[in-house]
Amino acid sequence: MFKKLIEESTAKSPWLFHINSGSCNGCDIELVAVLTPRYDVERLGFKLAGSPRQADIVVVTGPVTRQSLDRVLSTISQVPEPRCIVTMGSCPQSGNVFKGSYSVCAPLSKYVHVDVDIAGCTPKPEAIIDGLAKATEILKEKRRQM
Amino acid sequence: MDFPFVKEAVAKLFSKTSCSMYPFEPSEAAPNYRGRIVFHPETCINCNMCERVCAGGAITHTSVKNDDGDDVITRSFDLGSCTFCSTCADFCTRHSIELTGDYHMIGIEEGDLIVSGTFIKKAVKRPVPGAKPVAAAAKPAAAKPAADAKAAPAAAKPAADAKAAPAAAKPAADAKAAPAAAKPAADAKSKPETATEAKPEEKKA
Repeated sequence: MFKKLIEESTAKSPWLFHINSGSCNGCDIELVAVLTPRYDVERLGFKLAGSPRQADIVVVTGPVTRQSLDRVLSTISQVPEPRCIVTMGSCPQSGNVFKGSYSVCAPLSKYVHVDVDIAGCTPKPEAIIDGLAKATEILKEKRRQM
Repeated sequence: MDFPFVKEAVAKLFSKTSCSMYPFEPSEAAPNYRGRIVFHPETCINCNMCERVCAGGAITHTSVKNDDGDDVITRSFDLGSCTFCSTCADFCTRHSIELTGDYHMIGIEEGDLIVSGTFIKKAVKRPVPGAKPVAAAAKPAAAKPAADAKAAPAAAKPAADAKAAPAAAKPAADAKAAPAAAKPAADAKSKPETATEAKPEEKKA
């Protein structure tokens, strides 16, 4: 009985956790801009959570640098299932201009299963909203299967 | 006690929000926004300048020879490695690459973020020694195609052909017709131009 209630309420309020794994901060700025009143993704229920243990969707920016790799993986592992991992920008997806560098371990999909890629350098806030909406749908499916 | 801006505050309470309600109202990108790449393979000449200047190494191509000996070239743009700097579009000599205002780029499966186009680059047949007199006879008709006959390498084709064929849609077709030594297929393929038509007619006559 409670299951349906939980399912419906969490579908309308997925909490985000943002991890910056060495990014240039362009994508980070756009992500927090999406949370400001102009593009206001908070009206759709998204909120930045303070701790990974309280998050549903993890947003990763930055090419995963060697120094941050272990920390990123341990943080992601702290996010409870069902979770959705979203890579934002082209850095975590392939390394972009940093491909082949000694200190960059992109793509993130080598280490964890990535659900949604938002492409762009840096993606427009509306594209980020699209990606998060898709992530919410995937999360709903995962929760249903649990 | 004085509360400044009371009138404005109350007015704003009942006015329209300044939030851009994106999923419910469409939102256009700014003019000249560098978004999703659109590739026009019919105008590509495979000079590979775009690959050389690409900042993120997003452009790759594969080339397969088909039955006629022509190259079937597939050029792929990986939007997941792209910086959207538009250097490829700036360097493209034929303007085959265009960065549109489409910013909705979400990838869920493997191939979602790859834009590719395939085109055929016709093989250039080297001039057979017997064709030389034909080229010489055609000299008064048009100097350009005769120059083509001497400049056999395929790489030089685009510059010469661009002048001979204004549309530049089938560059190699002209190259074939110019040094052509009894190739009926070339007549069927070449565009109706006075220069190339004169030579086969002269040959037949």
